[in-house]
Amino acid sequence: MNAPALEIAGLSVPFGDAPGLRDIGFALDPGERLVLLGPSGAGKTTLLRAIAGLAPTAAGQLRIGGRDVTDRPAEARDAVYLHQTPLLFPHLSVFENVAFPLRIRGCLQVEIQAACAELLESVRLEGLADRRPHTLSGGQKHRAALARAMAARPAVLLLDEPLTALDPSLREEVRATLLSLQARYRPALVIATHDLEDAAVLGERIGILLGGTLAQVDRPERLFQRPASLAVALFLGVPNLVSGSVADGEFRSPLGPIPAGPESLGGPATAAFGADALRPDPCGSLRGVVRSVRYGPRGATLRVDVSGLDLDATAGGGAMPETGDELRLGLERDRITILHGTTRDV
Amino acid sequence: MTGRLPARTVLLAALMLSALAPLGLLLVASLGRGWFFPALFPPSVTLESWGDAFRGGRMAVALWTSLGLAVCTGLAGAAVGWPVGRALADLRGWPRHLGAAAAFLPVAVPPVALATGLQISALAVGVAGTPGGVFLSHLIPAAGYAALYFLGVFTLFDRRIEDEARTLGARPRTVLWRVTLPMMRREVGQAFLLGFLVSWAQVATTLVIGGGRVRTLPLEVFAYLQAGQDRYAATGALLLVIPALLMLGAVQFAVERAEATPL
Amino acid sequence: MTAASRRGLLAAFAVSLPVLVGVGYSTLASLGLTGPGAAGEGSARIARVLGEPVVWTGLAWSLWIAAASTALATAAAVVVAVLFRGGARSDRVARLFAVLPLPIPHLAAAVAALLLLGQSGLLARLLTSLDLLTGPGDMPALVYDRPGVGLILTLAWKEFAFLALVAFSVVATRGGRLEEVARTLGARPLAVFRRVTWPLLWRGLLPAVVAVFVFAANTYEATAVLAPSDPLALPLLTLERYTDADLVRRGDAFVLVLLGTAVSLLAVAAHEWTRGRWDRLEP
Repeated sequence: MNAPALEIAGLSVPFGDAPGLRDIGFALDPGERLVLLGPSGAGKTTLLRAIAGLAPTAAGQLRIGGRDVTDRPAEARDAVYLHQTPLLFPHLSVFENVAFPLRIRGCLQVEIQAACAELLESVRLEGLADRRPHTLSGGQKHRAALARAMAARPAVLLLDEPLTALDPSLREEVRATLLSLQARYRPALVIATHDLEDAAVLGERIGILLGGTLAQVDRPERLFQRPASLAVALFLGVPNLVSGSVADGEFRSPLGPIPAGPESLGGPATAAFGADALRPDPCGSLRGVVRSVRYGPRGATLRVDVSGLDLDATAGGGAMPETGDELRLGLERDRITILHGTTRDV
Repeated sequence: MTGRLPARTVLLAALMLSALAPLGLLLVASLGRGWFFPALFPPSVTLESWGDAFRGGRMAVALWTSLGLAVCTGLAGAAVGWPVGRALADLRGWPRHLGAAAAFLPVAVPPVALATGLQISALAVGVAGTPGGVFLSHLIPAAGYAALYFLGVFTLFDRRIEDEARTLGARPRTVLWRVTLPMMRREVGQAFLLGFLVSWAQVATTLVIGGGRVRTLPLEVFAYLQAGQDRYAATGALLLVIPALLMLGAVQFAVERAEATPL
Repeated sequence: MTAASRRGLLAAFAVSLPVLVGVGYSTLASLGLTGPGAAGEGSARIARVLGEPVVWTGLAWSLWIAAASTALATAAAVVVAVLFRGGARSDRVARLFAVLPLPIPHLAAAVAALLLLGQSGLLARLLTSLDLLTGPGDMPALVYDRPGVGLILTLAWKEFAFLALVAFSVVATRGGRLEEVARTLGARPLAVFRRVTWPLLWRGLLPAVVAVFVFAANTYEATAVLAPSDPLALPLLTLERYTDADLVRRGDAFVLVLLGTAVSLLAVAAHEWTRGRWDRLEP
């Protein structure tokens, strides 16, 4: 199949009477994953529901599996929507839950038996086929819901906050099941979450939903290194945001002149960079005083006062600086992104 | 679904008609004089039976007796049901099932069986044939309903709010008065309404325990029916309906107003 | 058991004590050990009373009334709950009118039924004005009749209000999200109703349906107004015996009291069983 699994163009989704989401567009091939990342209330759930056909759209086009489904009802799209808490049919056994999509498509009992056996085995629930949902553990419920979704062989699987509010071991279980199912059955996955960690762990590409639009769609690394706007940088928690202004292709701030690239507009601007762009360097151009040292899973981070700015820096190799130490720091120019506007405007 | 008359509209009209027509009929019947077959409308109107109700006749006495009994039953039923239901909600396992079954007993037993069974107790205590005895016989099923109702309410109630109040220094009685009861205004109102309606509509226990001497409104309606006095029976029936509806509205209103004002 | 548990149980028993006393006394009376007309018959009294055909026709008739009215009310409640489940104004109006009969006493409803369905009632007059009847004698008996049509309709009218209330709540709390799930799994509207909405609805309604059935079988007020004297419904038969001048027959009433209680308790047990079995239906 050559057609993309999901194609969205110019989609507008209202929130009740408010305008809501505007001009949303992206495409996914079968087997691809996209994480929709955004703060609570950004419209992630609404967008997922609109793709599923459970919420109305005001404009734009929606194609699933190569077919135009913009005006089609939910049951005629090829997209399954999964709630955050697994909603198994309480009056049916696990087997019947998984068989549900097959029964309503009129499959023969023989086919249903075979398909369900395979699905239950793929989520390691073979022994629990006759159980009722209320007797299952949390992880088992998630796996059963996923198996049921895959029974429908959807082109697109829409997951709303699948890992939120799960404890770490359960989180890992659900994530592993999800990825193995995707590898096996190749649906396109659209996952909504507000958690950065979950996004990093799940996403091949991440779409930032801010201010009613998709502010940026990129691979996780590029997102942090090259945030598309100040709003995105703030949302992602990029630690170092230095206000200044751009004139004559140069960014001017207490950090010294930084080339801003020929296409940058003049005016107020912000330099955004991570802790890895700033390191202790005896030949560096900046002078600072260490305010504190934080130890974390990825090494130590220094909080440094540079010309009145509080910045995060990575401790390099060699002796660990201590609070109060004066040192010279080097700034890696290509790890800095110059963004329009300052934090006062956002 | 525009254009042809949809099933929904027809059904909606049928619902409204079915709910209101009986009441309308009672109203017309209570006012009609000489309304005989085959007249579709009464030839003349009289307020005689209504006058009787409001000027101290037989119906008025029965009305006030019923009101008094029902209000007392509602209050007492809620007052008894609250602690019983609350205590049962704390139980688990077989004591809970047993307690719930005990509270359910007055509700589950057929009214006639309840009445005949209660008469024994009434005679033993010496209140048979008195309004007090009738009140107690209404109270038993009312308290049962209220206890079951509060059992459900307190099962869902988050006890931690009371614990918090206690750690803030409030004594148990203060907690009840200033925290739990105000939170439960709607529920208390509902329990009162339950008890009120149980007593208000009672016939079997009133007949048996009261020995026909305590004249409540339902009993009078029966008597009018048996005497063929349709107009008075219809008036009595409406007098049964109106206070019930009013009480329902009053409880809703009082609860909503109480919830609107800050504590 | 904690002190509080003990208190709870004791309080519950205090509430049910008069009933227990009543049941105990009825048992003793049925065994001829006490009460009016206890002529030393012993347990033969029970056999004698239960041997009377009028007792069983009375019980059967009461059960028939309960079954017919409950079935009607349930069907109507399901239809209304499914059709008017939305948030539109027409839905809210429909729900309001559906539950309006709730606070109306059965006796008042029975009086209205008498005036409407009686031999010379409003319905008869309407049919006469349409030239479908020539006189009150032509009107088919809907009250005091053997099939108990008027009583069935009256009870169904009241029960519908209660069952509709329960059905609305079931549909509102359980239905919505599960139906959404079914739709995105590909089920069309009819399949959604057949496989998700209806199964959840009838399970959620069952305890209420059983409660309503028991109530209808035992109710006195409406039955006394609309029922025939032959067959005589069990509650009416019981009260008739209880107030009989003949002391022996008065004592017999206690056997009927036990019979009615036993049937009710069986039904209550059924209610508890259905509730326990299908209570854990939260998704």
